[in-house]
Amino acid sequence: MGFHITDMQLNVLFQTWQTNYHIYAPRNFSGGGRFSDTDCIRYGKIEHADEIVFDKKSDYSFKEVLTPVSQTLFFFTEGQTKEADFPQKGAVIFLRSCDLYALKRLDDMYLHNSPADYYYQHLRDNIKIVLMGCEHSFENCFCVSMGTNVSTKYDMSIDRQPDGTYLVDCKDEAWVKQLVQAGCEQQEVIPAHVTENQVTVQVPENLTAEVAKSTMWEEYNSRCINCGRCNFVCPTCTCFTMQDLFYSENGKVGERRRIWASCMVDGFTDVAGGGSYRKKNGERMRFKVLHKVLDYKQRNGYHMCVGCGRCDDICPEYISFSGCINKLQSAMTEVTEQ
Amino acid sequence: MDINTKILKKNAFRVTKERGMTASRIRVPGGHLDAKYLSQIQHIAETFGNGTVHITSRQGFEIPGIPFEKMPEVNAALQSLIDGLEINQDEVGCGYPAAGTRNITACVGNRVCPFACYDTTALAQRIEKAVFPNDLHFKIALTGCPNDCAKVRMHDFGIMGMTVPHLESDRCVSCGACVKACKKKSVEALKPVNFRPQRDERRCIGCGECVLACPNAAWTRSEKKYYRLTLLGRTGKKNPRLGEDFIKWVDEDSIIKIILNTYDYVKEYIDPNAPGGKEHIGYIVDRTGFEEFKRWALRDVTLPEIAEVMTPMYWKGITY
Amino acid sequence: MMKNDYIPFPSKILEVIRHTKIEYTFRMEFQGDVKPGQFFEVSIPKYGEAPISVSGIGDNFVDLTIRRVGKVTNEVFEHYVGDTLLLRGPYGNGFDVSDYAGKDIIVMAGGTGLSPVRGVVDYFFNHPEQRGHMTLIAGFKTSHDILFRNDLKLWKKNMDIILTVDCAEEDVACHVGLVTQYIPQIKLDNVQNTVAVVVGPPAMMRFSVQGLLDIGLPEENVWISQERKMCCGLGKCGHCKIGDTYVCLDGPVFNYTKGKFLVD
Repeated sequence: MGFHITDMQLNVLFQTWQTNYHIYAPRNFSGGGRFSDTDCIRYGKIEHADEIVFDKKSDYSFKEVLTPVSQTLFFFTEGQTKEADFPQKGAVIFLRSCDLYALKRLDDMYLHNSPADYYYQHLRDNIKIVLMGCEHSFENCFCVSMGTNVSTKYDMSIDRQPDGTYLVDCKDEAWVKQLVQAGCEQQEVIPAHVTENQVTVQVPENLTAEVAKSTMWEEYNSRCINCGRCNFVCPTCTCFTMQDLFYSENGKVGERRRIWASCMVDGFTDVAGGGSYRKKNGERMRFKVLHKVLDYKQRNGYHMCVGCGRCDDICPEYISFSGCINKLQSAMTEVTEQ
Repeated sequence: MDINTKILKKNAFRVTKERGMTASRIRVPGGHLDAKYLSQIQHIAETFGNGTVHITSRQGFEIPGIPFEKMPEVNAALQSLIDGLEINQDEVGCGYPAAGTRNITACVGNRVCPFACYDTTALAQRIEKAVFPNDLHFKIALTGCPNDCAKVRMHDFGIMGMTVPHLESDRCVSCGACVKACKKKSVEALKPVNFRPQRDERRCIGCGECVLACPNAAWTRSEKKYYRLTLLGRTGKKNPRLGEDFIKWVDEDSIIKIILNTYDYVKEYIDPNAPGGKEHIGYIVDRTGFEEFKRWALRDVTLPEIAEVMTPMYWKGITY
Repeated sequence: MMKNDYIPFPSKILEVIRHTKIEYTFRMEFQGDVKPGQFFEVSIPKYGEAPISVSGIGDNFVDLTIRRVGKVTNEVFEHYVGDTLLLRGPYGNGFDVSDYAGKDIIVMAGGTGLSPVRGVVDYFFNHPEQRGHMTLIAGFKTSHDILFRNDLKLWKKNMDIILTVDCAEEDVACHVGLVTQYIPQIKLDNVQNTVAVVVGPPAMMRFSVQGLLDIGLPEENVWISQERKMCCGLGKCGHCKIGDTYVCLDGPVFNYTKGKFLVD
């Protein structure tokens, strides 16, 4: 059901949410950018609607709410283990259409690629989704090409109006009831969404892993600095590494945690004894790109990449992921004509 | 021709090797100006000078080939520059009121450079406002980070940008980028402990390389800006030397106060017979001893808690 | 409440068999279904986890042969009989001995690669009636690196064993050279009825498989096992992914018809 609500009405809704949920939304971390006097927009807990950044794309995605950068799995003492506690409250997550599609990818990775992940499942079971409409496309977005520009699976949608009011489309029954009781103005609402982006990509129909043999990857050997930013900002990258922390000298008290990992960063493939795979940055780029637009689909039936363009936004070397996808066609021609 | 060279020098003109000809020196605090002022400089050079302009080593402009008698007209023409660059002035239309304290130079700073820890131009302009006009021979320079592209250690006061890096450890992905950057580009103040960087506060020079290298915004910069203040570097014939560290992690307000206090100190102790009334501060400090200088310099200064004052200070440099 | 697959279980060290200075087999208490070629995540709280393949299987134990290479495996060497290690697993598909029943069998192993296939060799040593002719070519860097010496002696009773080291030393009761050199010595009756299992370092596997295909073995008769950084064993962490394949879920054992498409 659609409503046209005021800032105050929205904040009243926020207050009721906060009994059972933390509210996570893209917010501005002033001075939190790499460079001095620059900001960073990323996810954080908020209490009021005016903390939410609507007019810019977040630098980092919502995924850290469900897959924390660093997550303690259990504590150990003398051969005993004790699971880490989960947060008492659930999460209301504000995100855009592309990220909502990314959520499906996280689900398929964590819940359906072999046994469901205990920790992800736990957090996932208790979230509500608020879809932030997109008035216009941001730089580097290519959601339309990836088919992720329109979403319907939300608990509520929200579009901030120029006058500071909000249009919301509410599907959660309890919330609808509350908005009706609060006397909010009802009207039909369709969440704002884009129908075209400046950037378009075309994943070749005939794309196969053969494209690995193309020379197209070589330029990334020198251009890419394997920093992993593209992975960390990506809403669909899920890789992690286990770490054991150790509190006492005898090695018997500590914790095991998992932290985000990047297939671009050194050490990702290291095996015991010093072996590693994909030493060149071009090979890592190929591995990442083909995961996003080829082999994930072979396993799951649809592409992994959602076209949010954050990888392009953040790359310090100005390497464009969408630009790379668009080189795949001629690379396929190159390898098939050999 | 009867010209008071003492007055013309104070007015930012020069006695040149060519008799009867002077050069006009234009201050550009922080070395940054709106491009529109370049046409005025061009106009002055073509109208009153020989049509050339020298970009000075102190980030100003020097317009040579101006006959002495054109000085009033040049001063009138300089007014738009003096106004536009917000240079303190005693009397409108009379040009620069002093030349002793030199133009305050700065690297390009964080308006452009990714390494810079602050807006060098803005701070240069703030210091200019506080110290100019002054006849005493002070050289002040600012640089954005410890790379010291502005060569501030060759100045009486060198101001080097610093940031206190803060690690939000739960965002750290153990990629090692910061440790590597610190080791290769800076002073090796980070080492991995339990998969995460541990910062040696004593070693850290606040360059911000860790923040630049961090791919996950785990390292961020301090909200407050800090500086390293270096003292009494100088060029010259007697004993050129690099400035030494005076205070690490000092704040802007303290820097300005210290500089102003130093003017008082110099007024008190400058050699009354110094040629041209000009004596490098360093020679005065050599005479009074560093402790006396420090007593004056830190008068009424409240340093930030983390500030480290180096004392005593020693300089080396070249002697002939 | 769903199961937490990340919590390890304690397992007692029943016996420690020392092969070389750096390679020991730990006989760990374990009851449950397990196949040769599967692996456990061996977890030592101070250091972390390492994927270790099952080198032997008994009624109440599994053997884990651990080479002292990484920091995790170093620590295991400090533990002795009666102590416990934390385990998760078994993970992966493992070798299915029924795939080789009734066939002539070739096993080619390089270095620690002998561990995951040891169970297969041992099974067919004990059940010679379930197979035809059997050849094991095992290669090691030097004679000091030879694993399972006692087994190799024992197995000789009913199969051909070609033991080779990369570089010659004095006490050499074995051949010198790469395993691939000895492919021509394999007794071959009918390549269609011959299966091969190849496990070892990447280059060794590549050249060995090529050698076997060259003498006429069909691709579908060749099996390989991949070593990758398997961090979680649950298809989640991504470290062992190759193309659309997760080595920890879909492998580490692959029929070559599938394995040949795995491009890192």
